[in-house]
Amino acid sequence: MSSTAPVLVSIRDLVKRFGPTTAVDGVSLDVAQGEFLTFLGSSGSGKTTTLFIVAGFEDPTGGDVLIDGRSVLSVAPNKRNIGMVFQRYTLFPHLSVFDNVAFPLAVRRRPRHEIEQAVKETLALVRLEEFAARKPGQLSGGQQQRVALARALVYKPRILLMDEPLAALDKKLREEIQIEIRRIHRELGVTILYVTHDQEEALRLSDRIAVFSHGRVVQVGSGADLYERPADAFVAGFIGNSNFLPARVRGVDAERTAVELPNGAVVAGRTDSALASGGEASLMIRPEKLFLVNGRDAPDANYDCRVDVTLRDSTYLGDSLQREVVTPWGQCLMVRQTGDAEALSHAGTGAALTLCWHSGDARVFRKTAGSSAPRS
Amino acid sequence: MRSTLRRGRAWPLRGFGPALPALVFLFVFMVAPLAVLFLRSVTEPTLGLGNYAELLGDATYGRVLFNTFTVATVVTVVTLALGYPVAWLLVILPSRVARWLFAIILLSMWTNLLARTYGWMVLLQRTGVINRTLMDLGLISEPLPLVNNLAGVTIGMTYIMLPFIILPLHATLSAIDPAIMQAASIAGARPRQIFFRVLLPLSLPGIGAGCLMVFVMALGYYVTPALLGGASTTMLAELIAQQVQSLLNWGLGSAAAFILLTVTLILYAIYVRAIGLGRPQ
Amino acid sequence: MLLSLNRMGPGRYALYSIGVLVALFLLFPILFIALLSFGSSQWLQFPPPGWTLKWYRDFFDDPRWIAAILTSLKVGLCVMALSIALGLPAAFALVRGSFPGRVALRAFFTSPMIVPIVILAIALYAVFLRLGLNGTFIGFVAAHLILALPFSIICIVNALEGFDEAIEKAAIVCGASKLEAICRITLPSIRLGIFAGALFSFLISWDEVVLGIFMASPSLQTLPVKMWTTLRQDLSPVIAAASTLLIVVTMAVMALAAFIRRRSEP
Ligand SMILES: Nc1ncnc2c1ncn2[C@@H]1O[C@H](COP(=O)(O)OP(=O)(O)O)[C@@H](O)[C@H]1O
Ligand SMILES: [Mg+2]
Repeated sequence: MSSTAPVLVSIRDLVKRFGPTTAVDGVSLDVAQGEFLTFLGSSGSGKTTTLFIVAGFEDPTGGDVLIDGRSVLSVAPNKRNIGMVFQRYTLFPHLSVFDNVAFPLAVRRRPRHEIEQAVKETLALVRLEEFAARKPGQLSGGQQQRVALARALVYKPRILLMDEPLAALDKKLREEIQIEIRRIHRELGVTILYVTHDQEEALRLSDRIAVFSHGRVVQVGSGADLYERPADAFVAGFIGNSNFLPARVRGVDAERTAVELPNGAVVAGRTDSALASGGEASLMIRPEKLFLVNGRDAPDANYDCRVDVTLRDSTYLGDSLQREVVTPWGQCLMVRQTGDAEALSHAGTGAALTLCWHSGDARVFRKTAGSSAPRS
Repeated sequence: MRSTLRRGRAWPLRGFGPALPALVFLFVFMVAPLAVLFLRSVTEPTLGLGNYAELLGDATYGRVLFNTFTVATVVTVVTLALGYPVAWLLVILPSRVARWLFAIILLSMWTNLLARTYGWMVLLQRTGVINRTLMDLGLISEPLPLVNNLAGVTIGMTYIMLPFIILPLHATLSAIDPAIMQAASIAGARPRQIFFRVLLPLSLPGIGAGCLMVFVMALGYYVTPALLGGASTTMLAELIAQQVQSLLNWGLGSAAAFILLTVTLILYAIYVRAIGLGRPQ
Repeated sequence: MLLSLNRMGPGRYALYSIGVLVALFLLFPILFIALLSFGSSQWLQFPPPGWTLKWYRDFFDDPRWIAAILTSLKVGLCVMALSIALGLPAAFALVRGSFPGRVALRAFFTSPMIVPIVILAIALYAVFLRLGLNGTFIGFVAAHLILALPFSIICIVNALEGFDEAIEKAAIVCGASKLEAICRITLPSIRLGIFAGALFSFLISWDEVVLGIFMASPSLQTLPVKMWTTLRQDLSPVIAAASTLLIVVTMAVMALAAFIRRRSEP
């Protein structure tokens, strides 16, 4: 959808420095009308700063923000007609829920009956009609953030900014409100820029995700793009779980890159970046793409890559079985087995097994500082 | 153009403007008069530090300094000894009782200073209730000299300073996590050990803050010593007032004022360094 | 509980007795004066030989006492208003500003609490003598304002530090201008702090005696100054009556503060 809709927000080469620290370091993004775009990244990666520049609370050191093709940097935040929900609870403590939601219309000097109508509708949208008379102090955290959402939507802004709005809530409540946010996005068609450090939340909500690291956007794409074709080891480590195997590049062709593992085994993986033969690299493979077979059994012909391993531990997780195996070079790898886990259920700790996978499921990345990427 | 205009907010004095009226006011009405006073202390009657030399060298004035520091020290020690248990009680008493105790402390603190001092003048005088009662009980045959001397000043000042040590102590004590005491208790400490090894060390910041506050206030106090003290027990603040008001000796009075101010500001600086500028209540 | 009471053993009785003694010590002079003000003895005998309202009559019949009350009220209200008018913006600068020397400025703003009042009094007296401000209304207000300002600034700074600036930002994205956001959202949210600052400022002025002693002229005296000059002559029971009235005022103000605090809690 994002490819067909016109661009609404355009962030161009944005840079923001606070004294010696560079919080945002050349971010460029186009957000289509009606799109749900999420900034995903660990704390301190510049997500909030970027969002605050779009909102107008910070001035960029360089770059530009365009809405509808026009720069908004000279427009004061209260004139940008953007809605925003903050990470912390920001309801006006002395006003009732109704007056909180009515506030944006009141400062726009709308007539009384119009305000009442709009507030009622918006409270209904977040399913809080019956709380209109309460004060914020009498609401739970989840309710407060829903009121904040209503307050940000009541004046029908075209753009809604949300800065980790659910970070302070517990998991169950968070999932409930995520469903509400999806529904509201579908119903209203509002363009949403959403910030989170929670990859699951990003995957669940977004049309596209922009992965932030050290003030830069390392990759933009749909959840599937990021998971299946991560641009680098950082993204691979940030989205989903992964195993990183140290490797040395042996040969490069159009489809596959052949690499040598520390034990001398030569395996292959796909790659997007040009790699020099002989260079250090890192082979990434997802735990659910790995298979274990008994050392003596003939491996499946589908799996063209193999390494001998020792089983260290098995954990039963209900829908899957998680195994830890140790490679000949002493590295511990995660394997997730679903369905046909039966076959090896008897294998005990210390059993000699063969780990195999399909070279099309593995990816080879250049060795960078990011290859020891965080597991989120 | 747009950006340069808005970038103006990154000006190094960002947000300073609103402080200006208050700052100007204090400069005109506090700093400037104090500066003038200082000038007088080194120019009247002659240019130089003669006034300071006289104050620090003369036995009469030495006596005044001695009185001042003695009273301030005694008052600090006594208020701490009385105030610490009360602050502690405020924390551990059931809240209904504690509220009453609190109300009494605040009432006495906010009751007009002269009204309270007047009360002590009446109570402590030769024919006052205290002497009368003690004589009726046969404990004394002559009225005790309780007023117009250092005893009177100390009683009156202790009375006035007590809330100023109880409140910071209470703030410190109530900020201590009770779980720490429980942990100490589980670890086998007896109540006395808990007090000396856990509670007391943890409340040292409050003790420091309260004592410094009381000591500084006591050093420069005027009203109570003037009303409850006597001719031979002059304290520094009275000396300053006398020199200026009755003797029109501005040079010496100003010099005394600056000795007091310097000591006060040094103690204040220590206070700010050690405790920071927290809330006074 | 820090060492709960029932586990403390006999030590708690020592604690109780100190508590009771201190409470009595603090209450004693206040109650004593209130009683004496109704006693009939000119020489403040206790227990009084009889009861009378004479001292209150003397107080209210004397136009100088009434004038002193009015002066104190007027000065106090002016000091209160100015203290907030100067203290509110100053507090914003201290909390929101990002200029070098903010900590030093804060220390400077609280320093009038520390400077011994006598010193301030003679310094002002000397300068006011030149300016012709001694004993004038403006002189009283300016002098008292010096002492009141730290209290309003501290109260408002505390309130403002407890107020999340993101709430003000939220009002601004909602479409409010900066000024509108401050007036409609921030100020109402910190009103308790402003109120406390105003109350303290008034009480500081209402009680201030030393600054007044030095610069008062016989024509304009605040209540404490009038009490002081009377006290210096004798321990007249009229002062007991005046003191009792002041105690009642203090209790009323404290009750008002407690009431407003309780009502504003959700
Ligand atoms: N007002 C500020 N002053 C100085 N540094 C800041 C300021 N705001 C953010 N930063 C710094 O900029 C970086 C990015 O911060 P932020 O955008 O808040 O990250 P995120 O929202 O991704 O956690 C951090 O290193 C942070 O310390
Ligand atoms: Mg953030």
